[in-house]
Parts: sequence; C-alpha cells; structure tokens
Amino acid sequence: MPSWEDFKPFIITGLALGSVYAMSGVGMVVLYRATGVLNLAFGAVGAMGALIAWQLINHNGWAEGPAFVICVLFGGAVTLLYGALFGPPLSGRDPLIKAVATLGLALILLGIMSWVWSDKARSMILPSSNHGFEVSDVFVNYTQVIALGFGIVITIVTGLFLRFTNLGTAMRALANDREITATLGVPVRRVEAAAWLGSGLLAGASGLLLSNLVGLDATTLTFLVISSLAATLIGRLRSIPGTFLAAMGIGLVNALITPILSISQYRDMTPFVLATIALFLLSGRRGNALTGRAG
Amino acid sequence: MRKHLGSRRTRSVLGLLLLAVGLSIVVTACGSSNKSSTSASTGATGGGGSSTQQAAAADVTKCGQKPGVKASGTPIKLGAIVTKQPGTDFTDGATMAQAYFNCVNDNGGINGHPIKYKYYEEQTDPAQIAGFAHKLIQSDKVVGVVGGFSIIECAVDHKYWESLGIYELDAGIAPECWGTSNSAPPNMGPRYSSDGAVQGVIRAGAKKIAFDQSNVPGTGYIQAGPTAVAKSLNVPIESFKDNVPIQDANSIALKLVQAAGTDGGVVLNFTPPEALKILQAAQQQNLQDRVKAWACSTPCNTDFVAKALGQQWDGKLLVNAELNVTDNNGPQTNLYRAVFDKYGSKVTGGLGSFSQMGFTMAQQVVTALESIKGDTYDLKTVNTAIKNLKGWKTDMLCKPWYYGSAPLHIPNNTDFTTTPHNGKMVIKDGCIPISAADPGIAQVRGIEQKDPSLTQAGAPVAGT
Repeated sequence: MPSWEDFKPFIITGLALGSVYAMSGVGMVVLYRATGVLNLAFGAVGAMGALIAWQLINHNGWAEGPAFVICVLFGGAVTLLYGALFGPPLSGRDPLIKAVATLGLALILLGIMSWVWSDKARSMILPSSNHGFEVSDVFVNYTQVIALGFGIVITIVTGLFLRFTNLGTAMRALANDREITATLGVPVRRVEAAAWLGSGLLAGASGLLLSNLVGLDATTLTFLVISSLAATLIGRLRSIPGTFLAAMGIGLVNALITPILSISQYRDMTPFVLATIALFLLSGRRGNALTGRAG
Repeated sequence: MRKHLGSRRTRSVLGLLLLAVGLSIVVTACGSSNKSSTSASTGATGGGGSSTQQAAAADVTKCGQKPGVKASGTPIKLGAIVTKQPGTDFTDGATMAQAYFNCVNDNGGINGHPIKYKYYEEQTDPAQIAGFAHKLIQSDKVVGVVGGFSIIECAVDHKYWESLGIYELDAGIAPECWGTSNSAPPNMGPRYSSDGAVQGVIRAGAKKIAFDQSNVPGTGYIQAGPTAVAKSLNVPIESFKDNVPIQDANSIALKLVQAAGTDGGVVLNFTPPEALKILQAAQQQNLQDRVKAWACSTPCNTDFVAKALGQQWDGKLLVNAELNVTDNNGPQTNLYRAVFDKYGSKVTGGLGSFSQMGFTMAQQVVTALESIKGDTYDLKTVNTAIKNLKGWKTDMLCKPWYYGSAPLHIPNNTDFTTTPHNGKMVIKDGCIPISAADPGIAQVRGIEQKDPSLTQAGAPVAGT
C-alpha cells in the first residue's frame, strides 16, 4: 500500500480529472433541464470545435484568440442547428429516443472528424498551460485552475439563471411539459433555441479546455461523455451542484486508486461503480420514503 | 395571419440554411489549406506536405526498368489487408506501396507488366479478415500478398498463407508476424522495439524501469521482452497496463515517475496519440526531469510527435526507431520522398515509419519480381522469388533484410535511436543490436550465424 506521501500528488490530479468530468456533466444537465434532451453529442461537438481551432491555427495561419472563438461558436452553431432541425419533431418522444438521436449526431461528427483529420497525434496547448504553481510537489498549471473555476462558475451561474430569469423559468417549464408551456404563450421554439445555443457554446468552450487537459483526440473527447454520464446520473439529471460534486468525487477516487497497483488497471470502472452505488442508495432511500408514507 | 406565419417560417428556414452553409464552409476549409504557423498549438498530419525541401530529390524514373514508358502488359496482381478503424489507421503502408507501384508502372513496370494492387480495409474482425484473405486469392487472383499492416491479420491468416505457399511481405502487430515461417516484416513490432527502448534508457543511466503499455490483448507477450532484457542487465523493471483511450494522463505520468524513481527511466509502448498524452501530462506537471530518461517504442518516431511535444523534450525522449529518419540522404530514402511527392497524395499520414514500411515492402516485391526469369508471374514463381530474397540492403534499415526458409523471421533486429530536435526526429544513436537476452532475438541470431549470406549485402535493390 502506498504511503500518504505517495497519495498526496494524486489528490491534485484527481481534482483536475474531476473538473474534466464536471465540465461535460454540467453541460449535459443544463440542456437536459432546459429541453429534456440528454445530449450525448456534447463531447463530439467540443472535439470538432477544438480540431477546427487546431486546423485554423496550424494550417491556416490564424492567431489563437480568433481560432478559439471559432471553436466556441462552432459548438453553438452545430448544436443550435441540430436543436432547430430535430428538436420539434422529437419533442413528444420518449427521453431515451431523444438521447439516442443525439448519439446519432455524435457518430456523424465522429465520422467527419475521422475523415478530415484521421487519427494522427496532435496537441492543443493553451497559453495558460505554460504557467502555474506547485502544490504538494505537483505542478498545477493555470488551464487546470481555469477548468475547475469554469466548472464552479457554470454550476453557479446556470443554477441562478434557471431559477431567477424569465428565460430560465421558461426553459424549466418546457422541460416539464412542452404542450402546456406552449399554451401559456411561451415562444417555445425561441426558448428551446436559446437552450441549444447555450449548451452548444458550453460544449465548444469545454472542448477547448478538454483538448488541452485530456488530449486533442476525437475519439477520446467524444466518448468522454460516457464517464461524465455517471456524474449526471448521480446528480439524477437534475441537480447541477450534485453533478459537479459527483464529478469531482469520481475524479478523486479514480486518481487515488492509481498508485494502488493491485487495482490500478481497473480504475476506469470508477465512474460506473460509483454511479451504481449511488443509484442503489438513492433508490433505497426513495423506497424507504414510500414505505414510510404507506405505513 | 397565415401569411405572417409563412414568412416567419421562411425566415427560419433561410436562417438554418445559412447556418448549415456556414458550418460546411468551416469544415471544408479545414480540409483544404496547408499553410503552417508557429503556434503554441502544435502538431501536424504527419508531415503530409512536400518533402522536397528536406533533402535531395531523386529521379522517379528510377522506379522502373524503362524510364517514362507506361507498362501495358498483363497485370501482375498483388494484394494486402490493412487495419482501418476509429483510432487505428494503418493504411499509410498500403497507400505508399500503391504510390511506388504506380511509379513502377509509369516507368516500364515489371518486364512490361504493370502491377495491379488491391487492398482491403478491416476492422479487427477475424471472420472479416479471413474472408478478405480468401477473396484476394480466389476472386482477385493475386499472386503475392504485400504491404499489409494489420493488428491481427498475421494471427488469423498465417496458416492459410502457409497452406498455399504464399510468403507474405507484411508489417504488423501480432506475434505471428515474427514467429511464423511465411511472414517476414520490415519492422520488428512492439515487443522487440520495446526491448530497444529499454536498452536506450539503460544506456542513459536508468537504474530502474517503469514500462507502460496499452491494455490490449497480447500485452503479456510484449512485456516478456523488456523484462528479459532488463533482467539480463540487472536492472529492476515494473510493468503497467493502461486502458486506452487515456482520460487521466496526469495520474499515469505521475504513477510512472513515482515507480521509476529519480534514477530510473520510463518506457512507453503506445500509439502516438496516447503516448503524446502521457508525455504532455508529464510536461505540464514538470515531471520530465524527475527521471533519468524517457523512452518510447517505434510509434513515437514521427516528426508530428516531435512537433507536438515542442523543444522541451529535445534530447530527453529516446525513441527506438525501426527505420531510419525520413530526411536521411540515402538513395532509397531519396527515392521514397520523390515517389511520395509525385504519387503519394493518398498517403494521409505523410512521411513517417508507416509509409516507409509500405515503400520498403513494395521495393522488396519489385526486387523479387525483377529477379524472375521468363514471363510467368504466378503464385509459385512470385512467392519463390520473395522467399529467395536475402542480403537486401536499404538505407532505411540498419542491416540487410532477408526472407529465406526459417521457422520465424525477425530480419530487422538492429535499430536506430532517435530523439526530438526542433520539431523533428533526429538520430541520437546509430545502429544498435536488440539484445539477444530476448529469446526470439537469440533464435534469429542463431539462424543468421548458420547462414551468413542472409545478412551479407548483395541483392540488387529495385530502383536504386
């Protein structure tokens, strides 16, 4: 068993990994709360935005700033386009069908990325990664700090936005019941478009940060949502702070297992094991509550 | 009211149309421009641009026996099977082989016969691969299997090739590529290349080794090599496996550095994108100087890895290179670059180990075809000619390559060591034999000692 000294640096890497999961997880919950759609293409949209930025910088001679803006805008545009085209016809369908439809978008984008960029090694090093500070003998760069801060800010701002603004209230109402909300005079398409656009911009920004934190690799970034999904499930697809905390917890446990060599190679199971345990406990508590009420 | 709704809908449709057009323009632009810049965001598609500035260009008319005369006789059919699936694209070998064959065909072909090349792309499905092998022979009527590069093809098909008397010229991953009688690759594969990487960090002074590889089938076979080499030099080695694609490179880099210790070395056996993640995570945590040396097996030996890593790794990363650097000035490499420039538009990965292997295998088969007396190019004559290749010297490999009759073939068993320098891979150490502490290497050294003509340069090399 490693010593405490061996474990200490992994707390830092765990927080960094947790912030990676948090960014994707929170982004998915935001859209789910606003539209009732679990967007499994979140990672693919961000990955493609990051690859476009990489292409513009390395092959078209663009400066980094404008290329990064294009990455974020691409996320917003492609998600808005999907939401506008497929949101209305799928609005009355089961949430599972809506989620699977976004998986289709993810696979289309993954196919385009494989076609345009093949699977060669690339990197996106943000300027903020070149500077940082040391904590417990581990160098923490500012991109990791930004990612953590980004997750926290998105969690707080989105929570406040959904709760206290008219548009946020309309989004929550839409997610609950689209038909009733429409009969109340809410401009359904416009509100949904705003939700898709916001979620897409978030996917673009996350893609940019994740391409630096995880690697500029289409497959990795596309399927990162699967691990992040565990955090959203622990947050029961509703709680943004819950998703954020779950993601941080998953990242920490995952990293802290790394130096324990006997179980290290199984650590990729962490998100799903924790999600299963959490769902089991949550359903048990709900069951107890129901039993109590019946009694 | 209806008119109003109609115009609103028209506006929405027009807006979406504009958005779609805008997106398609962005994506199209990404595939079309090739200007470069010196941004912090680095990397490349494998150096896919022109190679003429790197070294002297060769004359592509050297590809064939009749410069400038297109071959128009009965085609000689060759085929291959290559892996292409999300995350693994090994088509560069076959596309480069095709480029060389096109060059040969434009310059007289083989005794007036053009080479017709067909390759199938597989997705690591044994049934699919076996089906393609039968199709190549039964439907496509190929007379030689050349230029394949697959994860499991050797394992799936070697018995079929043996039953037909086909001597495959392939590059691969599966142990059967080096451990069977009818396969002789130009590369040495992950196990022996990892051996070389381990030797590299030990030469750099490492007193302990942390060896990490992707958690895929066959890791035990690969791990046995570095373990034997390190043990023979009394250096402790700790082996790890990590799932790919890697999501937590920071933790992995930290784990490896902790395991190696300050006097140790870290050796990676991953595909370039995965190795790059670990190396960059090490860099971002300032871990690159916390061990004596870092090393990689062959996949890291590409300029795009050197570019993506940046100058912080110059001289610090040792890469076991199964083939020479792509800008060396030897005749075969000059011809390789010239062929790439004129015929290699489909080689998406650009100049690099994979396309070098494809070019080498194509040159080998052309040498074999040119050695056939008479005008009969069938399974028997072609494969006998391939099997008879020996003492085949190219500047891309450290020592002459051979086929011959043997229960196993590891003709490439002496390697270069490269390191990044200003965004390119350069030679750090010249040709160093892979340690015979690995039983497979010991066995082929015995075969070479028994028949010294195998490794004595002498066979004429096509085109040069």
